[in-house]
Amino acid sequence: MKAFPKFALALFCIALLLPTRGWATIDDALSFALEAADPYVKEGFTVREDYWGGDLPVKQQKAIVHQLFKGNEYWFWMGTDVENARISVHIYDSDGNLAEVEHWQKPHMAAARVVPKTTGSYYLIVEIEKSDRERTHWSLAYGFR
Amino acid sequence: MNYRFFPAPIAGLTLISALLAPVAPYAARGEEVKQHIDVGKLPQQATLVDDVIVPVPSEVFGVLDKLGSPNWHDVLRSANSTPPGPRAETALLLGDVIAEGFIAVEAQEPEQVKKIGRTVLDLASALGVRKAVASRSSAIIEYADKKDWPNVRKELDEALTDVRNAMDELHDEDLAQLVSLGGWLRGTEALAQVVKRNYSKDSAGLLHQPALLDYFDKRISHMPPRLRNDATVVNIQKRLKEIRPLIGEADTDISQQSVDQIREIVHNLVITIAPANS
Repeated sequence: MKAFPKFALALFCIALLLPTRGWATIDDALSFALEAADPYVKEGFTVREDYWGGDLPVKQQKAIVHQLFKGNEYWFWMGTDVENARISVHIYDSDGNLAEVEHWQKPHMAAARVVPKTTGSYYLIVEIEKSDRERTHWSLAYGFR
Repeated sequence: MNYRFFPAPIAGLTLISALLAPVAPYAARGEEVKQHIDVGKLPQQATLVDDVIVPVPSEVFGVLDKLGSPNWHDVLRSANSTPPGPRAETALLLGDVIAEGFIAVEAQEPEQVKKIGRTVLDLASALGVRKAVASRSSAIIEYADKKDWPNVRKELDEALTDVRNAMDELHDEDLAQLVSLGGWLRGTEALAQVVKRNYSKDSAGLLHQPALLDYFDKRISHMPPRLRNDATVVNIQKRLKEIRPLIGEADTDISQQSVDQIREIVHNLVITIAPANS
């Protein structure tokens, strides 16, 4: 009889923990994206206070369409909370040609920079290249100058 | 913070996989980047392509700054900003007023910016999101007093984000889209006016925004009837379809004549949303 309250308490604690952990994971992914952005803010990039995110299984891509303007320069920063994951973000123009001028990947982070040759629609392709999780949370931020 | 969240798994699965997953070493070398993707096949490659990032006004005005110094006083307009009643139209007007704020910043008109800061608060109140923008409105007025234009711009960008975020929280995502649309229309009118006065292929290229037009058109089509059937919204959707062929394809220039036509169409929409003060 005494075991039941303990078991119920344990279940209750898990129930409380689950959603908290879900959101904490997203926030953690975002904090890595913003950490990646930090050095560029010092270079004059304005970081937009809107962030995009979700979760993906390994090798599945997600495309986000973005209107970019010739005359601006953009950095896109992606973050994940998963320690051993390798993530990537790449930028393609409306014809599907790789448009970024540089990119990098680090633990928890990836980034790509584009200086649009024309004003128009661009595709941001985010991907979890490698992860030990079934689905990996990711977050994307961007800045411009 | 405004977070656009794409579908998540059950949190429990995440926790279980976190507990059970083996630790794998991080590989420093990334995979080879594809030089080309078939954009026509993206829906098969990607999970979703229905997300379009609507740029903040600063992105457009930043480019205009680099192109030269247009006479922004000529672009600035004084409009009636009394909440019109229907929520759809109030949302459109709020977007219009925020965009006007950017023009007032370009014109460096502190009194106009302060007036706009107060109007943003009134319209946000009418839409039930006053709390979300109260501090932004104060900051806009404070920075305008100091003529701190970069910070006014930043606060205006963030006011737009906060309003949309608050509406999302109230499950008024469609209304939030109308705020963006109202801002986009006024911004496009101003842009077309500036480009028209000093036409160049580069500056006209700023009007090449097909993904945004398609996105707004699609969002209106999916709105509930109470918003979609609003007379102003119906008219906007109709006119967006007229603009679409004028904004050109990726490799074609937008002619001066097309710029004129775009300006005319969006101007007529803007005066419907925000009639000029008589």
